[in-house]
Amino acid sequence: MNEHYRPTPGTPMSDLDTPCLVIDMDDLDNNMDVIANTYQGNGAKLRGHSKNHKTPAIAHRQIRRGGTVGGVCAAKVSEAEVMVHGGIPSVFITSEIVEPMKIARLAALADQAEMLVACDQASNARDLSKAAQARGVEINVVIELETGLRRCGVREINAGVALAKEISSLPGLRFRGVMSHQTIPEMPDREDRAVEAARTIKGVIDLKEAIESEGMPIDIVSTGETWSYDVAAEIPGVTEIQGGSYLMMETHYGYMTEFRYAAKILTTIISTPRPGVAIGDAGVRAVSSLSGLPTVFNYPGVTVEALDSDHSVFRVDSGANLNVGDQILLIPAQQDAMVSRWDRFIGLRQDKVEVVWDIQARGCHN
Amino acid sequence: MERPIFHPVGTPIEQLDTPALVIDLDVMDRNIRTFQSYFADSSVKTRPVVTSHLCPQIARRQLESEGTNGGVAVTTLGEAEVFANSGFADILLANQVVTASKIKRLCALGSQARIGIAVDNPDNAKQLSEGAVASGVELRVLVEIEAGMGRCGVVPGPPVVALAQTIEGLPGLKFDGIMGSVPGPKSDDDLLSHESKTQANLQVVLDNKSAIEQDGLPVGVVSVGGTHCYVQALQMPGVTEVRAGRYPLMDHRLKAFLPELSPAAKILASVISHPVEGMAVLDAGHKSTAPDQGRPVLEGIEGAAATRFSAEHGIVELEGDVQGRLNPGEKAWLVPYELGATVNQYDYFRAAKNGKLEGFWPISARGKLA
Repeated sequence: MNEHYRPTPGTPMSDLDTPCLVIDMDDLDNNMDVIANTYQGNGAKLRGHSKNHKTPAIAHRQIRRGGTVGGVCAAKVSEAEVMVHGGIPSVFITSEIVEPMKIARLAALADQAEMLVACDQASNARDLSKAAQARGVEINVVIELETGLRRCGVREINAGVALAKEISSLPGLRFRGVMSHQTIPEMPDREDRAVEAARTIKGVIDLKEAIESEGMPIDIVSTGETWSYDVAAEIPGVTEIQGGSYLMMETHYGYMTEFRYAAKILTTIISTPRPGVAIGDAGVRAVSSLSGLPTVFNYPGVTVEALDSDHSVFRVDSGANLNVGDQILLIPAQQDAMVSRWDRFIGLRQDKVEVVWDIQARGCHN
Repeated sequence: MERPIFHPVGTPIEQLDTPALVIDLDVMDRNIRTFQSYFADSSVKTRPVVTSHLCPQIARRQLESEGTNGGVAVTTLGEAEVFANSGFADILLANQVVTASKIKRLCALGSQARIGIAVDNPDNAKQLSEGAVASGVELRVLVEIEAGMGRCGVVPGPPVVALAQTIEGLPGLKFDGIMGSVPGPKSDDDLLSHESKTQANLQVVLDNKSAIEQDGLPVGVVSVGGTHCYVQALQMPGVTEVRAGRYPLMDHRLKAFLPELSPAAKILASVISHPVEGMAVLDAGHKSTAPDQGRPVLEGIEGAAATRFSAEHGIVELEGDVQGRLNPGEKAWLVPYELGATVNQYDYFRAAKNGKLEGFWPISARGKLA
C-alpha cells in the first residue's frame, strides 16, 4: 500500500502524484441518487455489489442515500469480512463457498451480521449446515440458477426444487430464495433491455414459483445488474438487484447516460518523444486492459493508442496540445478490474480533494 | 490487502487457502543461478528489475548470487522508495520523473542510496538538476534512447549527443551513460526473427554510445533490457548491463524463449463448482490472475484447459477421459501468462519448498504505482 500517499483535503488535482485512482464526488453522488430515485416506492431494492468498490465507506454512503435493502453483496468470504467489520449489517456472498476453511470463516461472520450465501449443490449445503450447527449460528442460503453465464448454478428447475428441499431440511440453514446473474451485449434501447431482462430472468422466476408450489416460502429473488437495474425491478417477484458497475461506471456501459463516469485514473505525461505521440505514466497495472483500452476523458484530439505494463501511449492530433507534465484522465473499459489494482480512492469535488477512502477489500481474493 | 489465513510453516501447500500465489523456492533459486551464471564470467552484468516481483527477499537472493552488478532497477518512484527503505544501495529508476513533487521525492532518496534516473528531454534534466542541488544530492543520469518500444526515449542520433552534453554540464547530475529497452518477442516471432530484431534494436543503442564518445564524453553505462534480450546483449561489445526481471519466477509468455528456466510462481486455485460434465469453475478469476495480456495456463491435467476468466471465476473445460476431474474442493495450478500483472494483484508470495510452506513473503512494493 502507498502508506505515504494520502493527500490532505483541499489539495488541487493538479498537485496529485500520479498515477492515482480518483472519484468525482458529484458524479458518484449522481449515480447513487439515480439508484435511490429508481427504487423509491418500488418493491425491489438494490443490494449493491461491494466487489466493485471494495470499500465499506462507499457501501454505507449508498445505503444512507437510499434505494437499497440495507445490505450488500460480496464475491468472496474475505471481502465479506471487510464489509461486516466495516459495519454492514447484511452481506450476501454471491459465490459458492465450498472449502472447509472458508465455510468456517463464513460461519464466524454469521455471529456478527446477517450472512447469505449462494449454493448450487446439496453436498455444499450439508457442509454449510454442519458448520452453522457447530457454531450455533444461522446461515441464510440462496440457490443459484445458471441463466447464460455458463459457470456456477443449478441447470434445471427440478434440480433447484430438490436442492431447496434439502436446504430447508438442514439444521442451521435458513432457505431464503433464488438468484441468477446474466449479461448482455450493448443494448442502448430501454425497451430492448426490458425484453431481454424478462427473457433471461424468467428462469429464476420459474424456479421461485416451482419451489413455492412445493410449500416452501421464498423471500428473496436476487437478480439483475447494472444493465438491467431499472427493467429487472419491474419484473413481478424480483426483490433484490445486484448492481455494482453503475457506481464507478465504465465505457462498456457508456450507453447508460443517466450514470456518469465517476472513477478515473489520473495520469501524467512523462515524455513527448515524437510529434503526435505522448507517453503517460499509467499502464496495465494501473488501469487494466482486460475489456479493452481505456478512453481519454474530455481531452479532444488525444486518444489512447496502446497500453504497456506501466506506460500508456497517446496519439495527439495536430491542433491538440499536450506537454510533459500535463495531466490526463482515463476512464476504464471495465471498472472493477481497475479498482482491484488500487489501495485508495481519492475523492475530488470540483477538482479538489474532498476525501480519501481506503479500498479495504482490495486483494481479498480468498 | 489480501486477507489470507497464515498457516504454520510446514503446512502442505495444497492445504493453503486459495487463491494463493505460490513460489517454489528451489525452482526460483535454480532459475536465478542459471540465468545469472551467463553473466558471471562476462564484463556484462545483470541488474535485476525488481518490478517483476516487487519483493525485497527475492531481490536479495538475486544479488547474493553471482552475475549481477549489485544494483536493482525499478519502474516507479514508489518502488524505488520501498527498495531504498529495504536497504538496497544502488537503484536505477528506469523511467522518467517529471513533476515537481516527484522530483523532490526522488532527490530525497538520493541521500539514502545511489539513485540512477532515465532522462529523455533537456527541460527535465534541468529540473532534476535544480532538485538535486536543492537537496544536496547527486543523481546519476542515463539518457534513454528509443530502441523499438515506441514509448519514452530520445530519437537516436544528434539529439542524444546534445542531451548527454546538457546533462554533463548541469550541477547535481552525473552523466552515467545510456539505456534502451527493446521489445520482447511478439506472438508471431520465432527465435530467429526475435534474434535479428533484438540485435538491430541493441545496435541502435550502441551506435549512440559511439556518437557520444566521439563528441568527447565517456559513456560508462550502456544498460539494455529486458530478460528476452540477454543472449544478444552478451554478444555485443559495449553493453555493460542487462536489466532483467522475469527470470527468477518466469511466466508462460517467456517460456518458449527461455526453455532452460521453469515457472516458479503459480496460482493455486480451488474448484468451487462442477456444474456439468466437462466443466469446472475455479475460485480464481481475473482479479486474482490479471489475464489482461494473456490467459494463465492450467497445469498438470492433460485434456483440461482454463478458457475463460470473469471477475471472480475461472472456467476450466475438461475433455475426454478427464471430464469428471476437478470436483468441488479440489485444487488446480495456473501458470501466469504475464508475471508482473499477476504479482500486482497479491500482497504475499506463499514461499514453498518440497511442497511445504516456508513462509509468507510480503510483496512490499505492490501497488506503488506513483
